[in-house]
Amino acid sequence: MHCPLKSATASAAVAMVGLWLAVVPTAGQAPPGGRFPPYTPLRTVDGKPDLNGIWQSFTTANWDILAHAAQPGPHPEIMGAWGAAPGGQSIVEGNEIPYQPWAAAKQKENFEKRMVVKVTNDPHRYDTGEPELQCYRPGVPRANYMPFPFQIFQTPEQILIVYEFKGAVRTIYMNSKEEAPSDTWMGWSKGRWEGDTLVVDVTGFDGHTWFDRAGNFHSEALHVVERYTPVSPYHLQYEATIEDPKVFTRPWKMSFPIYRRVEPNAQLVEFNCVPFVEEMMYTPLGLYKPRGK
Amino acid sequence: MRHRALGPLGVVTLVVAFGLKAAVALDAQAPSGTKTFDETATNTSAAIKAADEAAKAAAAASKNWAPPRTPWGDPDLQGYYFNHGGYTPLERPAALGDKAYYTEEEALAAFKKAVETDAEVDPRVVHYDWKEYGMDAWQSGTRPNLQTSLIVDPPNGRLPPLTPEAQKRLAAVAAAARARGADVTTPGMYTRCITGNGGPPRIPGGVTAESQILQTPGYVVMLSQSNNDVRIIPLDGRPHLPKTVNQWLGDARGHFEGTTLVVETTNFTADRNWRGSTDAMHLVERYTLVGPNTLRYQFTVTDPSTWTAPWSIDSVLPKIDPPIYEFACHEQNYGLINWAVGTQIREKEAAASGQTAEPAREER
Repeated sequence: MHCPLKSATASAAVAMVGLWLAVVPTAGQAPPGGRFPPYTPLRTVDGKPDLNGIWQSFTTANWDILAHAAQPGPHPEIMGAWGAAPGGQSIVEGNEIPYQPWAAAKQKENFEKRMVVKVTNDPHRYDTGEPELQCYRPGVPRANYMPFPFQIFQTPEQILIVYEFKGAVRTIYMNSKEEAPSDTWMGWSKGRWEGDTLVVDVTGFDGHTWFDRAGNFHSEALHVVERYTPVSPYHLQYEATIEDPKVFTRPWKMSFPIYRRVEPNAQLVEFNCVPFVEEMMYTPLGLYKPRGK
Repeated sequence: MRHRALGPLGVVTLVVAFGLKAAVALDAQAPSGTKTFDETATNTSAAIKAADEAAKAAAAASKNWAPPRTPWGDPDLQGYYFNHGGYTPLERPAALGDKAYYTEEEALAAFKKAVETDAEVDPRVVHYDWKEYGMDAWQSGTRPNLQTSLIVDPPNGRLPPLTPEAQKRLAAVAAAARARGADVTTPGMYTRCITGNGGPPRIPGGVTAESQILQTPGYVVMLSQSNNDVRIIPLDGRPHLPKTVNQWLGDARGHFEGTTLVVETTNFTADRNWRGSTDAMHLVERYTLVGPNTLRYQFTVTDPSTWTAPWSIDSVLPKIDPPIYEFACHEQNYGLINWAVGTQIREKEAAASGQTAEPAREER
């Protein structure tokens, strides 16, 4: 068994509390290399690992899935530190997204124009601007690393995930052969268990979602394979393989831990952002009148 | 034909229609290159006959029937339900007075009339012919009902009068809306894609009325097709959120009384202006599986700053086939843009001709 405590300073603690430490890291000391000791998850009534609960990841990937320095927000003259973005480490393996040349240029353009929200009523044109800015469904995998919690409801036949952001939902159909009936924002999810890992195959995307505020994107050919592995009562290890032959030169991977929210009576609090974006989206069209006028 | 032209968006309706019977081709006897459809989705007489039989079968199946239990012992309400207990109106027609129930013959006649009216399309005024999308209620397993109104209390089957305070408040809201003129915030929560079908509570009726109930230990989750609204209902007896935290769908807490799920919801935001109610609104819903395919749904609404008395409905929701689809409504809500542009044009025309335009509003 891998022992999380090997340092000289920790050996005294090992002597004091003995075997308990063989499986549980001490408070304030992360397992080396992000690895956890072997763990047998709690089971649901049908004998599968129990993923029920409220979860949240704590990365800065929603700003940029690659490594990034802190930066001021787009309107520092009014938003100051509120609008600034924290720096953070990459969730992408190798800190590199293998874009095709045209797509690398498109990502830069996306970033430059991320706040140029242009809503049209022409269904043949895509609206512009960052989708999160407009309160659009975040898609997968992004929903899992937005700075909002989500709740998993697990039954033998289907697993429902409710994301606090916008109240976006997705149903994972277990052991299903059914293909996506139409393209959607959150994709069409089919799940299966591989040992104690929930593997979810997601297709049927509409190509409108982005990976982050930095303009990283994909097409409707996106195919995501997610792996959720319980590594302690309080952590899931998450990994996603991203494939999109129209945009990338090869499949690539991202991974990060997801943490259980353990506050007493924890619950999702509504984040219905539609009314927060009406003024921004419809004022340029003359279709939003300021209150009080 | 009910006025439904304000429902958002052909894109959404087309996706939703996949879930309904009319979109399910039965390939037996189909000539090459054509599709034939379940008769109950195309022929009102066949639908009325099937609905009558379904209502009688449901009543028979409910006798001596006990709902199943989940493996952890809760009554098992899981499944998909059609939030439309028939064409029974919310309020009883005044002509019926205190007559709370029809005879079976009267109920079938009222149902027949309602189905035929719904199926009728006047091409001069219709925007969508909803039945072409499988979206008329009679195409999705709705049944006749002996009740003459969904409201069972007050005993006259009608909404209690508004309090003087509420009348004043609502008149001020309407005057402010008229003064401002139409914009994207004028129509209701459904067209704006803020909430679907206006609830909670569920007022049976309307389009995209499919819903799902899912249970895990300690929770009931209700997912609505319309706008994909999701209500997470903890069953562990925890307190409500503080009064300062108001939400569009409120804050729900549940418990079982026998085989009935009782859901108490508070903390509604006043912004949703549900039938003129305020953030003082208190909702108690009761869900009971009374037969293998029938969910009884009752609720009582109390808001002393809006109505002079509490009021209650009693209805039944039939089970339907899965699943619930994504309802991306706000994402590229071109229907809202088109509505606001069109309404502003009508306002200008009315102003030019010296009339006052009343901004069109949703019926909910």
